[in-house]
Amino acid sequence: MTSKPKLAFYWAASCGGCEITVTELGMRLVDISEKADIVFWPAAMDFKYEDVRAMADNEIDITFFNGAIRNEENEEIAHLMRQKSKILIAFGSCSHLGGIPGLANMYDIESLCQRVFDTSPSVDDTRGTRPQTCTIVPEGEIKLPALYEQVQYLADVTDVDYFMPGCPPVVDQVWAVFQAALSGNLPTKGSVIGASAKSVCDVCTRKKGEPGFRITEFKRPHEVELDPDLCFLTQGVICCGPATRAGCGTPCLNGNMPCRGCYGPAEGVEDQGAKLASAIGALIDTDDPEKLNQILETIVDPAGTFYRFGLAHSIMNKMKYERGTGHETEDLH
Amino acid sequence: MSHTAGVQTFADEVKAVPGGEHLELCYSCGTCVSKCMIQQKVEPDYNPRRLLRMVMEGMEEAAFTSPTTWLCSECDLCFSACPQEIHISQVIKAVKELAVRAGYTSPLTAVTVNEDLCSGCGICAMVCPYEAPSLYEKEVDGVLDRFSKVDPNKCMGCGTCVAACPLGAIARVGVSNAEITAQFPETPKDAPTMIVFTCDWSLREAEDVALLESYPEDEVNVIHIPCTGRIDPQHALMALDSGVKGVLVCGCKPGECHYKRGTDVASCKIGLLDTMLGQMNLPQKQIRFVQIGTQERGRIREEIDGMLNTLTQSMEAMA
Repeated sequence: MTSKPKLAFYWAASCGGCEITVTELGMRLVDISEKADIVFWPAAMDFKYEDVRAMADNEIDITFFNGAIRNEENEEIAHLMRQKSKILIAFGSCSHLGGIPGLANMYDIESLCQRVFDTSPSVDDTRGTRPQTCTIVPEGEIKLPALYEQVQYLADVTDVDYFMPGCPPVVDQVWAVFQAALSGNLPTKGSVIGASAKSVCDVCTRKKGEPGFRITEFKRPHEVELDPDLCFLTQGVICCGPATRAGCGTPCLNGNMPCRGCYGPAEGVEDQGAKLASAIGALIDTDDPEKLNQILETIVDPAGTFYRFGLAHSIMNKMKYERGTGHETEDLH
Repeated sequence: MSHTAGVQTFADEVKAVPGGEHLELCYSCGTCVSKCMIQQKVEPDYNPRRLLRMVMEGMEEAAFTSPTTWLCSECDLCFSACPQEIHISQVIKAVKELAVRAGYTSPLTAVTVNEDLCSGCGICAMVCPYEAPSLYEKEVDGVLDRFSKVDPNKCMGCGTCVAACPLGAIARVGVSNAEITAQFPETPKDAPTMIVFTCDWSLREAEDVALLESYPEDEVNVIHIPCTGRIDPQHALMALDSGVKGVLVCGCKPGECHYKRGTDVASCKIGLLDTMLGQMNLPQKQIRFVQIGTQERGRIREEIDGMLNTLTQSMEAMA
């Protein structure tokens, strides 16, 4: 019989990076295991769903849930972990905002399947394969969870206590959150934890643009030799830092790469992508109105750039899937 | 006033400030006044011709307290009309610079920065057509931190910085985010309700303004902004999300923007939003930006009716 708090980790639609960030704790994991029992962690330890189902409600003290909700299984386990956990933490960008998988919401399932199973250069397209929820083979029935029409984030399907951003959350923040959680020092329910309130620019030490600076051409990071001391925007490279929550410790900036926005919207930002369009759009050189569109065209994939980690969390996503204004009105184009 | 040795008269002083040189070319024809939107829309006492004359006559105090000195937004509609090709706004700017040096302050309400929210990104400083905001450093809890500060004598109140500020840290009474979203209609009925964000300068004739107000409020909800540079794509999306069926943003024709670049800034922002809506396979015609020229009276009616028709048709198609 132990009185140690019980922890659980789960991965839904994710790449595994959030799991790696937990293992990056290294020897500190040993400290954690002295203070707490890990009762479920499919990526690292041999537990089954049945073990969790056998637990009493609220038996787990804290569950760290990473990954987006992409299919039936993701949602089923989200509900299960909610039922069995006192505190459910959306851990990492996918669980927090939909993350990279959320970019799939720009497409419908059939066109995604066409790309993956038919037209991808590395695939033999002769079989017309599509994932089936049930397949009969000589040995019996094989079942797969059904894909959902859209990628959702954890709070779309269940009640979430805290949100911990990052792709992945940086290890020092993970450690700080573990310590706060294990000592019962978490803030009010619904808070974003392991991050700051202000934007990445608050902690970026690069030299900002002079008054009146304008962008005449956007460049992608590989197209320009980047000065490590200057604001990326002043070098014509899109940086999501202005609207993105700080707390990551700026590893990308330190590596001379612009912020991609993985910590999600900072306080005061309603919609990360639209806000970035508002801020960065206003920097475009407007001296020659004829050239505006040419400059805009140098932004490759605006939705994928400004909503890289938060498309599933965006107002546009809500308009498309909740209000159903997507497919019915295609004829407007 | 010892910036130039040997300055004698007030006119000489103005001419010594960069931009003020062309003062003496003015022969007071008044073409500038006939072109000026401020004189026509806001302040009958606004009069560039008279201000330049005051300077030439050495009427320093009258010039420093004249509304002309403070309200000119450098739209330069007068510049293209001036037979003497005087860059009048720059002469006025020179007078304003001397006025500020002499301790006079702008009567306009400038934007202010909430340092609790400001991250010091510098976007406001970069986007401002008047270079009113700038960054400064100060120590907070032993750490050197950057914040924006605004020169209230340079700020013309267009709101371009308010829309660009990522964190809502910069605002002015009447144009804050909360004040704009509070104007969204509360319970849009199942009708083609639309919001028109209109720049206070683009509809230059009283009949156009009256036309805009003639629609039933629950059908066409008008939200006035100082300049379309103030438009925030977030607000357009939030409006649609609240149940509004269409958003029309109405600004000035390029080259006629009262705040120099606001209409072009709006064009960039709505252009980006449009592309993103397309990427999400959402109907792009729900959000439209129109630039109405000084000579295009009545066009606002065509634009509104056109959008109402499109919205009605698409709603009927869905039903």
